[in-house]
Amino acid sequence: MAYVATRGGERAIEQSERLFRSDMGQINQARVAELRHALPYLVDRVMGEASLYDEDLAALALAQTGGELYEAVLLLRAWRTTQPRLSVAGPIQQKDLFTHRRISAAFKDIPGGQVLGPTLDYSHRILATDVLTGTPFMPNNVVPSVCAAPAHQPSVSAWQAENDLLDLPPIEPVQGNDIPDLTREPLLFPSKRAHTLQSLARAETGGVLALGYAAMRGYGQAHPTVNELRLAEAEVMVKHPRGTSFSAGRVKVSQAEVVSKKGEKLELGFAATLGWNEVKCIAAATLDLNTKGAAKGTATEEEFFLYHTEGVESSGFCIHFKLPHYVTFQSSLDAMRDAKAKKAAKGTEPAQ
Amino acid sequence: MSLKSLTKPWQPMSYGFLDASAKRELRRKMLKSVAVPGCQMPYASREVPMARGWGTGGLQVSLTLLNPRLRVKVIDQGADDSVNAASIRRFLALVSGAPVTLDTLGADLIQSRHRIPEEIMREDQILVLQVPNPEPLRSVQPNMSIARQMHADADYGRMWLQLYEQIVRSGRVMQGAGYPSLVNGRHVMTPSPIPRWDVPKLNMAKHLSILSAGREKRIFAVPPFTRVEPLVFDDVPYRVEDHGGLTCSRSTAKGFFMNEIPQVDGSSTYEVSDSSYGVKTIQNREGDDVEFGETWYKDGEMTQ
Repeated sequence: MAYVATRGGERAIEQSERLFRSDMGQINQARVAELRHALPYLVDRVMGEASLYDEDLAALALAQTGGELYEAVLLLRAWRTTQPRLSVAGPIQQKDLFTHRRISAAFKDIPGGQVLGPTLDYSHRILATDVLTGTPFMPNNVVPSVCAAPAHQPSVSAWQAENDLLDLPPIEPVQGNDIPDLTREPLLFPSKRAHTLQSLARAETGGVLALGYAAMRGYGQAHPTVNELRLAEAEVMVKHPRGTSFSAGRVKVSQAEVVSKKGEKLELGFAATLGWNEVKCIAAATLDLNTKGAAKGTATEEEFFLYHTEGVESSGFCIHFKLPHYVTFQSSLDAMRDAKAKKAAKGTEPAQ
Repeated sequence: MSLKSLTKPWQPMSYGFLDASAKRELRRKMLKSVAVPGCQMPYASREVPMARGWGTGGLQVSLTLLNPRLRVKVIDQGADDSVNAASIRRFLALVSGAPVTLDTLGADLIQSRHRIPEEIMREDQILVLQVPNPEPLRSVQPNMSIARQMHADADYGRMWLQLYEQIVRSGRVMQGAGYPSLVNGRHVMTPSPIPRWDVPKLNMAKHLSILSAGREKRIFAVPPFTRVEPLVFDDVPYRVEDHGGLTCSRSTAKGFFMNEIPQVDGSSTYEVSDSSYGVKTIQNREGDDVEFGETWYKDGEMTQ
């Protein structure tokens, strides 16, 4: 049984997982709560890419994977697979969003006002190194505005549509369970509008940024103007079996409208995601804006960017190259050696 | 009637991990793919607790087919003890209670990455092949929607051209594993990156083969007794790897697909790639009572 004695597979994988976790110590409720509290933007990013909104589960996924983002997202998505789809929430209108931040680069002022909200945009990026030598960093208290911004604002595109500057996309009549669901159907091209927006919503932030940035730099046809960027909370309205409508809670959402100014009317690109993630929304909306007329195989073609920004698929395929490939390698070597031998034999033949 | 009486008690996950709607979709797509041999059927492909590209397509098929009486074997590159095969086998057993085996003859369902066992599979066995890239046309057409149209039109000219160019440039077809093959005279498929050695095993096989790509969300099948013909020119015959004359240095098994093991002195030794077959050969040599099945290859030559 000499051959069997060398079977170390099961033991090896068990020990390698232990090794990965050994330095991270115990994972408990307090750690999960601390992660959730201290890293809300990371939690948001993971929830968005996983298309699963639960801050506790997302923080747990981060704790369990030691912050390996792709692993954390996969963990949440795999958990999502086990959950039934109980109900479909009602559509969310931009004007009904409980808005924390909403800015437009297109106009100096907009109906509802520019609401700066929480941002690091104008902060000086200086590390608070004092923290490391024992002086805690205490954020200053926020001084409430004398005149509070309204919690609900219309979208900038609504105003533009009223003024005949832009055509809003047609309203999709499908509702509830008839809305195409990317997690229950394959993505095929030309893709359904719902699938495109869902794909972008769960796309990997870095991937969307890379391709969106390529479009912004000039590989796209349209130069974006941020019509509106919004961070908000949305009520999740569901129907009770009794027939009444109620809010199951609020989720953080972000959305971006970008426009191009080439023709006689503005063209609109749109993206939204769960959680607050501004970079992803602007980049995704830019890709959306550029799809029209994009040549096959270019970075702004829908098939190209939707396939290649799927983080769970791309990261999984990338790390799969670590798996043994010696059968396929052997098969190629065989052909290679034979071709080489044939060439050598040909070389020794006398010239005709 | 209360809501409680209508629902099942809460469980952290369904039997076999996937929920009923996912299994239903897979069953439907499997039936479709059996009905149109070699044609790629798109499916939703749920996320499973394994990374994409690590056998999630095969895993979803296995999870759908599993029941507590079905005996499972998992192979990676021919070996049952490869780390990922061990991981998949452990997971399948964990979520289904299905018994596992390393013996090809004892398995009802074999999930495999890139190999078909050397012992002939029977009518009552199912082979699930993990597929990294389901599209044989990818190398000539990376765009999925155009490739789909090409399959619909049976437009395989570029595929033939590619093979022809290889012969012109290198004196032979340079395709290594995953040799493009015509199924049932209609659809060209990739047999998944199995070596050329294994492709003839699919032709008119008694068993059902299901090929599933989780990341790329495509499933296709070779039903029992279906023609699978590698694309070859009339005057350039199909060639499997030149392994027929090799002998396994550990088990002394001869005439099967081998792993080459480089040696310090610059030479190579060989080990039989089908690890279960190697183990049986060793056990037999040591006097154990071992049952061998008929093999597809005899003395290094494909029978049939």
